[in-house]
Amino acid sequence: MLNIPKAITTDLVEAIKNTVAELATEAPATHKLCRYADLRIEVTEEKHAGAENGTSKYAGEDSQFACGIRVLAGDGAVAPGYFGQMLGKPDLPRLAQTLASGLKHAYERALANAREKIRTRHKYKELGEALADTRLAPVEAYRDTVKAEYALDPRQVSLADMVRYITEVSRAVQDVDEQLKYNAVSAVTLVTRELFASSEGAWIDQSFALTKGGAYVVAVSETGDQELSDDIGHQRGWEVVTEGIVEEHIRNLDLLTFSTNLARDAVKLAHAPPLRSSDKDVVVVTDPHFNALLAHEIIGHPTELDRALKMETAYAGRSWLLRTLSGTMVGKTVASALVTAYSDPSLPGFGHYKYDHEGTLGRKVVHIEKGTFKGFMNSRQTAAILNVPPNGSCVATEAHLVPLVRMSTTVFAAGARAPEDIIHEVDKGYYVVGHRIPSIAESRENFRISAQKVYEIRNGQIGQLYRGGGIMADTKTFLMKVDAAGRDFRLFPIPNCGKGQPMQGRRLGNGGPTLRSRALLTGPA
Amino acid sequence: MVSLPTLKRTAEQGLRYLRRQKDIQEAEVFVASNAGLTARVNYTSHIPCNGVEEPKSTSSHGLGVRAVFQDPKGPRIGLGSEAGDLSLNGVKAALEKARRSAVHDPDFTTLPRPSPERRTLTKYHDPSAMTLTDTDLVQAGWRVLTRALDEFAKAGSLSALAQTGPKLRELGFIVGGDVTVLLERMAIGSTRLPKVQTDESTLIASFITAMVERESAKGTGSGCHTRLSALRGEAGAEAARNALSAVGGVRVKDGAYAVVLGPQPVTELMSNLILPSLTVASFYDCSSAFHGKLGRQVAHDDLTIYDHGALPGHMGSKGITCEGLPTGRTDLIADGKLVGLLSSFYETERMLRDPAAKEKLGVPPEDCPGALVPRNGFRFAGGGGRRFDIAPSVAPTNVFIEGSDKKTREDLLRQVQNGVYIGRIWYTYPINGLRTGDFTATVVGDSYMIKDGKLAAPIKANVLRINDNIHQVLQNIVGITSKSRGTIIWAADEVVYAPEIAVARLRLTEIAGFLDAH
Repeated sequence: MLNIPKAITTDLVEAIKNTVAELATEAPATHKLCRYADLRIEVTEEKHAGAENGTSKYAGEDSQFACGIRVLAGDGAVAPGYFGQMLGKPDLPRLAQTLASGLKHAYERALANAREKIRTRHKYKELGEALADTRLAPVEAYRDTVKAEYALDPRQVSLADMVRYITEVSRAVQDVDEQLKYNAVSAVTLVTRELFASSEGAWIDQSFALTKGGAYVVAVSETGDQELSDDIGHQRGWEVVTEGIVEEHIRNLDLLTFSTNLARDAVKLAHAPPLRSSDKDVVVVTDPHFNALLAHEIIGHPTELDRALKMETAYAGRSWLLRTLSGTMVGKTVASALVTAYSDPSLPGFGHYKYDHEGTLGRKVVHIEKGTFKGFMNSRQTAAILNVPPNGSCVATEAHLVPLVRMSTTVFAAGARAPEDIIHEVDKGYYVVGHRIPSIAESRENFRISAQKVYEIRNGQIGQLYRGGGIMADTKTFLMKVDAAGRDFRLFPIPNCGKGQPMQGRRLGNGGPTLRSRALLTGPA
Repeated sequence: MVSLPTLKRTAEQGLRYLRRQKDIQEAEVFVASNAGLTARVNYTSHIPCNGVEEPKSTSSHGLGVRAVFQDPKGPRIGLGSEAGDLSLNGVKAALEKARRSAVHDPDFTTLPRPSPERRTLTKYHDPSAMTLTDTDLVQAGWRVLTRALDEFAKAGSLSALAQTGPKLRELGFIVGGDVTVLLERMAIGSTRLPKVQTDESTLIASFITAMVERESAKGTGSGCHTRLSALRGEAGAEAARNALSAVGGVRVKDGAYAVVLGPQPVTELMSNLILPSLTVASFYDCSSAFHGKLGRQVAHDDLTIYDHGALPGHMGSKGITCEGLPTGRTDLIADGKLVGLLSSFYETERMLRDPAAKEKLGVPPEDCPGALVPRNGFRFAGGGGRRFDIAPSVAPTNVFIEGSDKKTREDLLRQVQNGVYIGRIWYTYPINGLRTGDFTATVVGDSYMIKDGKLAAPIKANVLRINDNIHQVLQNIVGITSKSRGTIIWAADEVVYAPEIAVARLRLTEIAGFLDAH
């Protein structure tokens, strides 16, 4: 009989640990053809608030409790089956039965899947040869507990104080300029506790705090208009929003200063002339905030191995870095020697974790080293296909969803140059500041990304500000033309990265230093 | 799935309890049970794979309470929810959360009041979809995959390619996508509405992408149904046939081309640019591309667009909204003129009282009462059913696009004579914000040159980027087919019944030339 709390709180995980671990480890014994099983449980305690145009709009505090189960099973072939469910208080007294029922569904799906795999293999002969047994590359079965880090515990924050603060910020934004026609300010603060247990004996209890603040503003002048939105955030407590963060790689203003700055930018941009698109590539200096999204789109996504192995062909796309198993770009030059890029879950911010959702220890994965492509982020299944070690890059947005290969924190590495020197050396070019909206080609071979602000550079000096600007380039061409990398390495939160079906929107981290390269300028059509 | 009578009983019991609370001015209880079953397909002839990669499900049920609390400083509105608990205790817990989170919102008037319109759609779902077994789910995935493999296996053109070069499987056949069954049940009761109402709907969809990767040839197949029996795997066969047709693709030079947009690109433009600009919310926050243009011409006069959530046999249909109001037809663009907007009760009330409404809409709201009817307040989030834990927002249902003439694809091709047929685009975003109308996307498959009024050479996947503006596209329409196809894009909730549309001029940029050297 479980002695478990009556409320859905993160403490619940403590009480159900053994039950979950037993179900996982005993799965191969209780289900005859089960080769592997893992169970994930997640409890989140969250508070949020939002305001528009200086008035409060909504607030809330709630808990979410969910489970996700994977089984590999079969006789003659091995195939996967999954089950996910959102849970509630009534599930607590019967949790073992609920999880056992979910495990049975996942097992039945895996068995049916394996049977169809065998049938199809035989029917299609040559084309059937590709239907292989599901294999997971071996990992150590860790048993560990990871605590959340915060100064102001999200669970202890007064919701009324949150509402008051967010409304004050929204009011301050409104007061910036009468040409600000609309603003929305919001914040969320939460603690999540995850439990992972596998039939191999892994048992990981991992907690995170996370706080995010965001602002959206619309400014309309006599000559133009400008929408801007941006976020601050970190895996810390409510202090992220009220006090900001000053760390080596994260400089996060408090939400009030951040939002009012964004509003001032929007007003300035609404008065600025539109940027004219260029016919030929020009010198562009891109700042760390812009390069965070650039790293996300042209480094992070194409180096996700599930995507490279075509598993996202219908959704998030493939990768130009892997055509076939023998035709990859590994070991080939894909960028200038000044470009090094990697993903690292040990970096602070939204992308931080110790273990992924397969229980694999997260490791730094170098994608590009001095211009040479080195490798991909992977899961245990995709690592087995490439016969490489798993690097702990497989995570789900919520426990009831299936884990996918995702970025942790993917970045361009710091260079050695002072960012001001990188600008001063430019006779004629453009300084591209702050990311806005991306559109990337399907295999990430080309990108167009709009910027918050684009300034002209003349004779090494920053000059005219333009609105509606951005850059467009083929990925490899842009990377090969990088001729300067700054030492001003910064990390930023990316609040919503979509992948999978149904789409999972995940928070993660990206960053980089100032870079200089060449690209086409893009302006309003 | 929780039964509809149970959901209804919870709503009735909850409403009785809420009516008895002294500090509550008005209240609403929304009870829902949702399940999403997906068989995700991944076949790669040149890479070891599972075929059906993820046979899976996710489900939830629970209730949400929205309550207006009396307060000396003015009423406060709050939302609280409770997952998994449909007892009175669940209602009490949700109410307490609503009480703790209530805020004073000066734009709030009342909870949704009854509409003069009447519900017309009942008992329209497929009961057999509600009892799908684990084996049924898995077999649905394999059915679409094997229909695709059948097409690849029998293609003579591929056998010829394989005889002169690599083995058949080394041509790199890819079949990806999914079969998804979405099941939704809900009940809603409100102190503002006369009785507890229920609704039950199913959506059955299959979207498949197939490739002959060595030839950069990509094709798409889809099937959207309201009945499980209609799901026979045809989407897989269609995708494979389209991929085979795309073998031997060519590049296209930069330029402005006359184009015919297929149903998928039309849906991308609708779901990412046009529909988000046709909500009362986007007019309120000044982000709409059609800001201040209600009653004015915003597109070629051949174009008519409307949303209709109450049509039987259509995938996006619902009997009632998540505010308890009847669904129905909302005319959005009629003969090129902006005539109406999608709205929820809250958004309509807010706009009617906004001192800047005339500037935002372009006309005083009292002059266009039919343009702001709240028929689209739903609690959707990312294609995952009717959520009990969020407040209603504005979402389209079934969106129809029509032209004035009965044209066929052949008519459009003849009109264009020489240009480009674009059958599938990707990552279509309002690159400079919704209001400017600027957008960009890449052409990822199902596309052809148009020569002498006929489809000619296929276009290689991923070699073209569109850089244009939605206002120019809407003004440059030269033809619309009478035939349309139900299409849903990734992570969208609405179903667009999209025709093919010819546009006189679209700016295309050639991209990714460096890959030809690899």
